[in-house]
Amino acid sequence: MAGLELLSDQGYRVDGRKSGELRKIQARMGVFAQADGSAYMEQGNTKALAVVYGPHEIRGSRAKTLHDRAVVNCQYSMATFSTGERKRRPHGDRTSTEMTMHLKQTFEAAILTQLYPRCQIDIYVQILQADGGNYCTCVNAATLAVIDAGIPMRDYVCASSAGFIEDTPLADLSYVEEASGGPQLALALLPKSDQIALLEMNSRLHEDHLDRVIDAASKACKDVYAVLDQVVRDHLQEVTALIGDRGSA
Amino acid sequence: MRETPLSSCERAFLLQAITDKKRVDGRQTYDYRNIKITFGTEYGCCIVELGKTRVLGQVSCELVAPKMNRPTEGILFFNLELSSMASPAFETGRPSELLVKLNRLLERCLRNSKCIDTESLCVQAGEKVWQIRVDLHLLNHEGNIMDAASIAAVAALCHFRRPDVSVQGEEVTVYSPEERDPVPLSMHHMPICVSFAFFQQGTFLLVDPSEREERVMDGLLVIAMNKHREICTIQSSGGIMLLKEQVLRCSKVAGVKVAEITELIQKALENDRKIRKEGGKFGFAESLPDQKITALKIEKNVVDTSNVKDKAEKIISESQPPSDVVTKPVVRAVGTAQIGEGIENTWGELEEEEDEEEEDEDDDDADIVSTSIESDKVTEKPAKKTSADIVISDSEEEDVVILQPEPQAKASSSQAPEEDQDKSPVRKTPHSKKKKKRSSH
Amino acid sequence: MEEPGLREIGCEQSPLSRPDGSATFMQGDTSVLAGVYGPAEIKFSREIYDKSTVEVMVRPKVGLPAIQEKNQEQLIRETCESVILGTLHPRTSITIVLQVINDGGSLLACFLNAACMGMMDAGLPMRAMFCGVTCVLDSDGQLTIDPTTKEQKESRAVLTFAIESTEKRILTISSRGVYSTAELQRCIAAAQLSAQKIFHFYRDSAKRRYSKS
Repeated sequence: MAGLELLSDQGYRVDGRKSGELRKIQARMGVFAQADGSAYMEQGNTKALAVVYGPHEIRGSRAKTLHDRAVVNCQYSMATFSTGERKRRPHGDRTSTEMTMHLKQTFEAAILTQLYPRCQIDIYVQILQADGGNYCTCVNAATLAVIDAGIPMRDYVCASSAGFIEDTPLADLSYVEEASGGPQLALALLPKSDQIALLEMNSRLHEDHLDRVIDAASKACKDVYAVLDQVVRDHLQEVTALIGDRGSA
Repeated sequence: MRETPLSSCERAFLLQAITDKKRVDGRQTYDYRNIKITFGTEYGCCIVELGKTRVLGQVSCELVAPKMNRPTEGILFFNLELSSMASPAFETGRPSELLVKLNRLLERCLRNSKCIDTESLCVQAGEKVWQIRVDLHLLNHEGNIMDAASIAAVAALCHFRRPDVSVQGEEVTVYSPEERDPVPLSMHHMPICVSFAFFQQGTFLLVDPSEREERVMDGLLVIAMNKHREICTIQSSGGIMLLKEQVLRCSKVAGVKVAEITELIQKALENDRKIRKEGGKFGFAESLPDQKITALKIEKNVVDTSNVKDKAEKIISESQPPSDVVTKPVVRAVGTAQIGEGIENTWGELEEEEDEEEEDEDDDDADIVSTSIESDKVTEKPAKKTSADIVISDSEEEDVVILQPEPQAKASSSQAPEEDQDKSPVRKTPHSKKKKKRSSH
Repeated sequence: MEEPGLREIGCEQSPLSRPDGSATFMQGDTSVLAGVYGPAEIKFSREIYDKSTVEVMVRPKVGLPAIQEKNQEQLIRETCESVILGTLHPRTSITIVLQVINDGGSLLACFLNAACMGMMDAGLPMRAMFCGVTCVLDSDGQLTIDPTTKEQKESRAVLTFAIESTEKRILTISSRGVYSTAELQRCIAAAQLSAQKIFHFYRDSAKRRYSKS
């Protein structure tokens, strides 16, 4: 892959996007009937499925009960067929556990857990096809699923990755760009208040460029927000239309 | 063991103090605790003390086959262990979330940032590469494990020397440290983690939180940088909401701190190198503080063993010979014998004839060895019972065949001096004990 | 052959703040850190109704603990159990964690010494102090006390003794190799003489520590 140019002279990336462009996003809510909330999301070639159960009584050990808020329980797993080579361990290895912790941290900050003391909210995310930006797609899918479940949140949680090549910040990295080894940043943002729920960066990046990269990621998150918002509104219209004709939007 | 929970009073006190811009140990918001780095006698071994948090790091190397998809690169392996002595809350068993988080952060900070040139670890492309293994042990947990661990890892890697190799065609020769001087690893840069603890919904931050401060904080931001002001890793955790300006401010502070710490590490390495070259004494023993009253050192001690040999011989000669356990057995019939009297049978018909006895062949061994030593560790073979086992049964069994005993060699496990035990002429094997003899009904 | 003798001994008490008692013990290049917690709470399934449960953990510097470490743990645990007055603290746990800082020969003896100093620092009630001494016999029958790694490797037999302080009797013997009873007695006698020196060292350390009160 040494000869692959991640950013051409005209400013086009490997898949033909410009540096600040996102991949094509397609999302659907309410894909599972039995779950309280579910969503399927495609960001380019990365496909993720999120399912939410709750709020319900704490299952398993009662010791985990928090007296004043709900416990958010997450699980991140990658399907064995999601990557180029078959994945041996779908979950339980270090990377998955780390992702799980990050998801939990993100949603604990965003969901209004004080409204459901002594309860548990489960979020399960599965990556069906991994092509870069796994964590971000998961977060976006999980946001939709939580909204579908009707659990109140402070704001949408939108996530996007960003990189830095030849003095230009790139938004929404694909697998090829991630594997090249350059700096990558994953950002989970609450768009209205510009608050960062999670910030994660790998590989070397000079301090002076940090500002621009975070800006690129924030802008990408806001673009994702626009798309997700539209998806939610469309879904709502569809659902209310099916229920009945009273007070349609 | 369980850790003592934090009381509400203490929590309120700490938070109030932080609101008043005061830290319990008197530091300023951007102050680090004292960092002390000591190296051991082996290359690649170092102990880092950040305040009272103590981490031990050891680097080792091994020649292995490279990974399939990277045949020309060496392998780096990091492992941080939270020792049970570091805190009563740490228990062995399933890795806790904290452990996974710290390990992943360490991996990302050191491996993904390419601080070591892995191509230089290749010996034979596709066949043999060096696998560098960094083991870190947390010995005492007083807050900010991440920083201490990253400093220990970097210092240990810089201190480590791997054996020199030469490749001639297909043959690879690894030279021992005596033959050729070991070679240091080629490090591109030294990434150091700096931790920021956030309080009051992210409006107030502290650098290098102590253990108490960690318990009451809202969230943590870790920034790993090197002295060239390149950010290697950023990780926010704990569910705090940050603003971009805060992150940028933190990165500036981190830059300053990392420069200071890198200088400290290099000074320590330089000192160690100088001492080794001059042939002075190095290692942990040397770094034992002389002035502390809790530390003491004494010089080489000669133990006068001149009369040891005589003493030993005296003990052996004075020791009593093992008691005469085996008396002459009474031979009742061919293939059976009786030692001792046995206890009278209290139930049912007595067999007229022989009581079957078992021999105490093992009693001898135990006695010899235990004469003058009272040792728990010497296997004491239990003295076998000498009670009679008589079976009265009405079952119709075939005739019991009596096997002629072969002369058995004495099964002795100790090198007993030649005090003799009576060897009885007829000895049964130990396994025959449960064969019951039957008298004619 | 030089005179048999102990290498340089050093000790630091209470280097760690979290454990109830801790000690670093150095014999020449060999260095061990012991951390002691106890008497502390124990899970109900593991408690013993009339005495404390002693647990020993030996952690090597590189790699995960394996069978050899388990073996050493058992030896040290049984030595400690015979010395600690466990009946004073029923239904509790006493945990001793030993971390290898550097292995330069006679490691098991160093473990025992560090464990004893750690327990002393933790203030655990013991019926006696104990110390560990390693002796090696080489092919000529020459006796060396407190061997280095090289001497240990080249020896014919290695014996480690745990000796208690009141009457210099033996608590534990662990040996590898072939030796005669006469040689065993010589080693024991030599170990008892060395133990005397180590107990002096313990006493001096304690005296020094409590000299300012």
